[in-house]
Amino acid sequence: SLQVFDDEGKDVTPHPLFHSDPDAAVPRQAKLLASSDCSGATGSGFLSFPMHQTGGDEQKKSRLLTSHNLSDVQVRPEEIKEQLTEEDLDRRVDIYLTETETIWMLDMPSVVASVESEDAGRILERNKIYVDICKNRPGNDRFAEKMMQTINGAAKNKEVQCDKIVMEDKGVVVTSWDLYDSFNVSEIEPASKGEATNGKSSTSHTTKKHDETASVTSARGNITSVTTLESAALARTHKKEKNRLEAILTSEKFQQDLFFMERVLMENIFQPKLAAYRQFPVLIDPSVTSDNAGTVVAVKEAKQEEHDKGKKDKEEQKEALIDPSIMSDLNKPVEETVPPSLEQLWSYTCDLTKGLNVSSMAWNKVNPDLLAVGYGAFDFKEQKKGLACCWSLKNPMWPERIFQCEHGVTALDFSMASPNLLAVGMYNGTITIYNVRSCTTTAILNSRDSSESHTGPVWQLKWLQQDGNTAEDDKRERLISVSADGRLTKWLVQKELDCTDLMKIKRAGSEKKNLPREKERKSLVLISRQAAGMCFDFHPKDTNFYLVGTEEGLIHKCSCSYDQQFLETYKGHKGPVYKVAWNPFSTDMFLSCSADWSIKLWHQNSQTPILTFSSTTTVVHDIMWSPKSVFIFAAVNESRVEIWDLSVSILDPVITHSGNPEAKFTSVLFAKNTDCLLVGDSRGEVSVFELQNLAASSSTKV
Amino acid sequence: AEVDETLKRIQAHKGVIATMIINAEGIPIRTTLDNSTTVQYAGLLCQLTTKARSTVRDIDPQNDLTFLRIRSKKHEVMVAPDKEYLLVVIQNPCE
Repeated sequence: SLQVFDDEGKDVTPHPLFHSDPDAAVPRQAKLLASSDCSGATGSGFLSFPMHQTGGDEQKKSRLLTSHNLSDVQVRPEEIKEQLTEEDLDRRVDIYLTETETIWMLDMPSVVASVESEDAGRILERNKIYVDICKNRPGNDRFAEKMMQTINGAAKNKEVQCDKIVMEDKGVVVTSWDLYDSFNVSEIEPASKGEATNGKSSTSHTTKKHDETASVTSARGNITSVTTLESAALARTHKKEKNRLEAILTSEKFQQDLFFMERVLMENIFQPKLAAYRQFPVLIDPSVTSDNAGTVVAVKEAKQEEHDKGKKDKEEQKEALIDPSIMSDLNKPVEETVPPSLEQLWSYTCDLTKGLNVSSMAWNKVNPDLLAVGYGAFDFKEQKKGLACCWSLKNPMWPERIFQCEHGVTALDFSMASPNLLAVGMYNGTITIYNVRSCTTTAILNSRDSSESHTGPVWQLKWLQQDGNTAEDDKRERLISVSADGRLTKWLVQKELDCTDLMKIKRAGSEKKNLPREKERKSLVLISRQAAGMCFDFHPKDTNFYLVGTEEGLIHKCSCSYDQQFLETYKGHKGPVYKVAWNPFSTDMFLSCSADWSIKLWHQNSQTPILTFSSTTTVVHDIMWSPKSVFIFAAVNESRVEIWDLSVSILDPVITHSGNPEAKFTSVLFAKNTDCLLVGDSRGEVSVFELQNLAASSSTKV
Repeated sequence: AEVDETLKRIQAHKGVIATMIINAEGIPIRTTLDNSTTVQYAGLLCQLTTKARSTVRDIDPQNDLTFLRIRSKKHEVMVAPDKEYLLVVIQNPCE
């Protein structure tokens, strides 16, 4: 009943190939189909079916049937197994049962005719014939078995091959810093300046640490200028590599690393000396490997390094932690009275300073490891270019800062209020101020620009915090200088150096008739009315008073508030007074040293010296009271360093140390935080001596 | 330049056996030792530095390695590490 029409409406229904004989075939086929309908659609159903239906050659028939049926019947697709989860089992499932559409395979409706119709007789006859045929069928020759085969398409094998799927095993060990880094990667990204800044940001903590510990106004400043490499040392053909190499070598971080490396090297070389300086018990580096010793040394070194990196305050505490079982021979058991002595630890010297004369030394007020040394000749004939260097304890072989000066340096001092300022006085009378924090070696201020600069060598400089002057509202620090032109000047350090004269040292007039030598002097030098000032010292308790030592050999006590006349004059020395120093503890006494080979102790109320120390026949260049004891002072003359202890003997120094015969000692400085003495000499060396076994009375009362 | 000067000074110091600068890939850029020893040191020290840095940062990711010193019987190896390079100095500190 299916009809097919093409576009033009023509009936192109394909004619059936098989014209079945309805009478013969229908019942058989109907029965076949009926049974196929009720059987299951599985293969087994097909196979089982022929067995009860037809006799004869069942095999062949079954094949016929199956092939026939299979071509008509759709194969029910394989059921895809559904994955059932736990929940699915409990889930309420709704099942709908519907009747599927009936598929008509073959529809041959039976024809029904009425008994009374014309055809009835014929139909009845035909039905009877059919029944007879069915009865006669088995064994009848008229029925022949015939086989049919459908065309099976030729099977073709087709192969498909895909590319080999490469498998890779990859493992990652995630560390906590990895997580941290990837989390923070967006913050580090904007550092577009390359590794320098990158390195800086990642090491910001360490640099900060250095900044903090190197004190607020560190003299050991971080190197901030980027130097350019003049030429790549290695011949590299690839420019890119060359650039990278340059980038590395010029990076700030590299400079810093070099800087630290040098310090570490120094520490290794000088470790026992530095330890002695710091008054740690010195440990012998074990060449014998006993583990205990090794660890203690490592601990000690770690402490030293940690200490060097800046935790200065904890030295004393750390000292207590060191294992006392490992001590060196230097600390002998002190039953025997060992005479006090000076032991040289090391000396600050380098190629630059060889041959120069050390004229002055000063400690930094805030950082007790930083030393400023001025190099310049004392004599007029020997004037060369001068040098001022800042040395650090951490590198005794190369100064941290080098300032070249046109003239010999004769005095220098660090400021207290801004500890990075270093004032340098020179042979030609100029005073320059350097900022030691920066790497540049140009001065900040120069008194050359001031109209009232000194005209003679500046022999001493000191920064002073003046207090009690209500006239001036500011308690700022002033720089005081004394020079050979006879002026004691107070400088104001602002944008420019501005100065006011505190005192003009007048020559002592005709009062001084007694000493013939003085007269000689007077007659020789009448060029100026003023006497050359060589040194000064402000009273430790009251900064209104100060002492001035002159080239004539007189010491004057003056007051800041009265600059016309001296309060007192102390006569006694027969040669220029090179240094005066108030005793820091017993503040009525002061000491003076002079070119007349003597050191004199004075009381401020008496015009004649109380004690005179003449132990040598050479010029005494420098003296200094010990910061720890009221009785001890150090004196340096051209051939020896002497330590005097007034509680022990007033006739002889307690320690004398002769140096190299070629070298003349020229300046002395006590170390503030340790028992060491620094002595400068005419070869440009500043030697550090440790005071040993000095029966140190740290008493501060006379 | 200042860098060159400082490098020269370090090399001239008492007891310094060798100075090396090694880039991030382990290739020595500058060295005062012979090539084979330098390459050996470079490879080994790179690994050790990485390990040391990893250790330090594992404990506290905000921390970082700044300096590494290895003290042995004969000498001391000092390494200043960085992302781009390694600065290595070998010193015999006794003499």
